[in-house]
Amino acid sequence: MEFEELKSQWAEMSGEIKNQKKLTESLIIKMTKMNYRNKLGKILIPEAIGACICFAAAIYILFSFQNLDGWYLKTCGIISVIILFLIPILSFHSIHKIRSVNIPDNNYKQFLLEYSKGKLQFVFIQKLIFYLGALLFLTALPMMARLIAGKDLFTETRLWLWYAIGYPFFYGFSRWVFKKYIKTTVEAEDILRELENN
Amino acid sequence: MLNQEEFIRIIRENEALIYKVSRVYANTKEDEQDLHQEIVYQLWKSFSSFRNESKLSTWMYRIALNTSIAHLNKEKRKGNYEPISEMMLNESDINNFLAEERVEILYAHIRQLSKIEKAIILLFLEGKTYDEIAEITGFTATNIGTRLGRIKQKLKSQIKK
Repeated sequence: MEFEELKSQWAEMSGEIKNQKKLTESLIIKMTKMNYRNKLGKILIPEAIGACICFAAAIYILFSFQNLDGWYLKTCGIISVIILFLIPILSFHSIHKIRSVNIPDNNYKQFLLEYSKGKLQFVFIQKLIFYLGALLFLTALPMMARLIAGKDLFTETRLWLWYAIGYPFFYGFSRWVFKKYIKTTVEAEDILRELENN
Repeated sequence: MLNQEEFIRIIRENEALIYKVSRVYANTKEDEQDLHQEIVYQLWKSFSSFRNESKLSTWMYRIALNTSIAHLNKEKRKGNYEPISEMMLNESDINNFLAEERVEILYAHIRQLSKIEKAIILLFLEGKTYDEIAEITGFTATNIGTRLGRIKQKLKSQIKK
């Protein structure tokens, strides 16, 4: 099949489609009212639940802060609170950034540019959140053991041993998590390169 | 201000445009249906701000193409849309199996192109001039010419394989 043949096939097919009006009035109205609540809910509800859990945990730590004795437990507490506030903020920011690219007012080139840059930033923030989550695990473990069970894991157990055992699992898990971001990153970078290459 | 009746009339007159964009960008039937609905939804959302400053088809192509990028990059949203059986439009009515097979081959070739190339070739096949393609995509008319030359070569070698 030659290129010209492809063009004539396209025209032929367009003619066939034009003759087959299928969208009814009620169907179009249904589409305009497309279950927007579900769409919003699917993205925002899990985010909101996650944020509530993080903020509740941070507030709990702040109110119980006087029970953390020793500089190391206090440090763990401060780091945990900062991370618990930071994670939801970063997460909302990355989602908002990518969703706020204007569909009607941008031309295709502008849209691709903004969207690809947004994607790269999204991946960066997701990776950052993952590392913060890992750090939170390190700081929250001894602190919560103290607050909930009254135990000081730094003096009563070999805490470092648990961290050493956990590290290979964390490494493997992070490789698995980041694997899915590689394709996104490569695709966004390819688009940006192609846009620059006139 | 344009009303809902006007919107419905415009969509019905241009449903072929939405259908073709959805089919070029989506890889599966399910994605195609989702994308089709999302395009209609985005058009409706932006309809009140359409001020006839550009041609209606330019506005529609711009929203349809941008929606295709944004929608298909998002996570799979299975079950997020109402299953609308009537959405199985057009292709089920192309009774001739061979014709449908030829059409699918045609789309398959276009789907192999990059996102930028897909938009340009789609608009070119739709009979748009270089200037119109430039207005919709934001590239210069000269750049469209250069890119089209490359796309034709790419398609030719793809077709020969």
